Amino acid sequence: MRVREHTVDRWTSRVLRGGVWLSVSFIAIGLVAALFNPASGRAEENPSFAEIARSLVSGHLNGEMLMFAGLVTLMLTPILRVATALVAFWAERDLRFVFTSGVVLLFLVGELIYSLR
Amino acid sequence: MSFPSFLILYCAGVVTGTLGALLGIGGGLFLVPFLVLAFNLPMHQAIATSIVAVIATSSAGATMNLERRTVNIRLGMVLEIASVIGAIAGGLTASQLSASVLTKLFSVVLLIVAALMIRKLRRQGEQEHIFTDGVLAATFHDEATGATIAYSVRRVPALMAVSFVAGNLSGLLGVGGGFFKVPAMTIFGGVPMKAATATSNFMIGVTAAASAFIYFSHGHLNPFIASIAVLGVLSGSFLGVKLNRRIHSSAIVWIFTAVLVAASIQLYLK
Repeated sequence: MRVREHTVDRWTSRVLRGGVWLSVSFIAIGLVAALFNPASGRAEENPSFAEIARSLVSGHLNGEMLMFAGLVTLMLTPILRVATALVAFWAERDLRFVFTSGVVLLFLVGELIYSLR
Repeated sequence: MSFPSFLILYCAGVVTGTLGALLGIGGGLFLVPFLVLAFNLPMHQAIATSIVAVIATSSAGATMNLERRTVNIRLGMVLEIASVIGAIAGGLTASQLSASVLTKLFSVVLLIVAALMIRKLRRQGEQEHIFTDGVLAATFHDEATGATIAYSVRRVPALMAVSFVAGNLSGLLGVGGGFFKVPAMTIFGGVPMKAATATSNFMIGVTAAASAFIYFSHGHLNPFIASIAVLGVLSGSFLGVKLNRRIHSSAIVWIFTAVLVAASIQLYLK
C-alpha cells in the first residue's frame, strides 16, 4: 500500500477535530440539561470512568454526568492523538517515531492507570 | 450557579481564548487568577479547570495548524517525552502542596511571563536565524510572505530540558508553558516563530492531559465551572483567529502584561 505524504498530519488533525466536537456536544447538552433541571448539589468526588460509561450506556443521564462525559472525552483526545500518530508513523514506515510516540503514549497511559486505580 | 455567574464565567473564557489566539499563549495565565480572585474558587479547582481549557484550545488550534503544515510533529513528539514527564511530576507534586504555596508560585510565574512578554515586544522586527544543518528538518508555507520556509532544529537536548520545566509548570499550575517553549525553540533551536508557536500549541494539549487525570481523580474538576470555561475558551479561540488578521497586537501585549502584573500582586496578597 502506498502511503500518501503527511499521513500523520491528516490523521491527527481528524482525531483532534472529532474529539473536540464530540466533547463540546456532550458539554453543551449537559449544561442545558443542568440549567433546566438543576440537581440538589454536587457530589464531593468526581465519578469514575465506569460510572460515566454506565450512565451513557443505560441512558440514565443527568446534566452533570453528560458534562463529565464531555470533559473526560476532551481529556482523552490528546492521548488518542498520540496513539493515532503512532499508527500513522507505522504507516509511513518511520520506526524511529513509532518508538518516540510509543514512549509518550506509555507515560500517558501509565499516568491514566495510576490516577484511576 | 446563577445565570449572571454563568455569563461572567463564559465571557472570561471568551476573553482568555481570544487573548490566547492573539498572543499565542495558553489560557491558564489569565483563567487561573480570574477563577481564584473573582470566583473565589480553590486553587486546585482553578488549576484543574485551566488544564481542561488548555486541552480545548490546543486541540482546536492544532487542527488548523496541522492543515497549514506549520506544526513540526516530529519535534513536538520528541519534546513531549520531556514535557509529559515534567507534567506528571508537577501534577503529583501539586496534590501534595497547599493552595497558598501554589498561589504564591503562580504569582511569581506571572511576573516572569510579564518580563518575557516585554522582552518579546522589544525583539519584534529582528531577523530570524534559520539553520539547515540541524535535525528534524521541516518546511512550511508562510502565508504572509508567500515563501516556503525550510529549517532544521538545533540543540534538541536543551529544548527537552526547557520542555521538562514547561511541562512541570503545566502540571503544577495549569498553564500551557508556551511562554517558555516558544522563545527556547526560536532562540536556541532556530525554529521559525510561526512553526515554534504552532508546535508549542500542538504540544500543550498532550502535556496538559498528562496531569489532567491526577486532578480528576482527586475530585478537583468542577463540571459546571470547567464546562462553561471550555465553551467560552473555544468561542474565544475562534474569535481570536478571526481578529488576528485585523488587530495590531503590540497594544494588546502591553495591556495583557499590565493585567499579568496586577494579577500577580493580587494573588500574592491573597
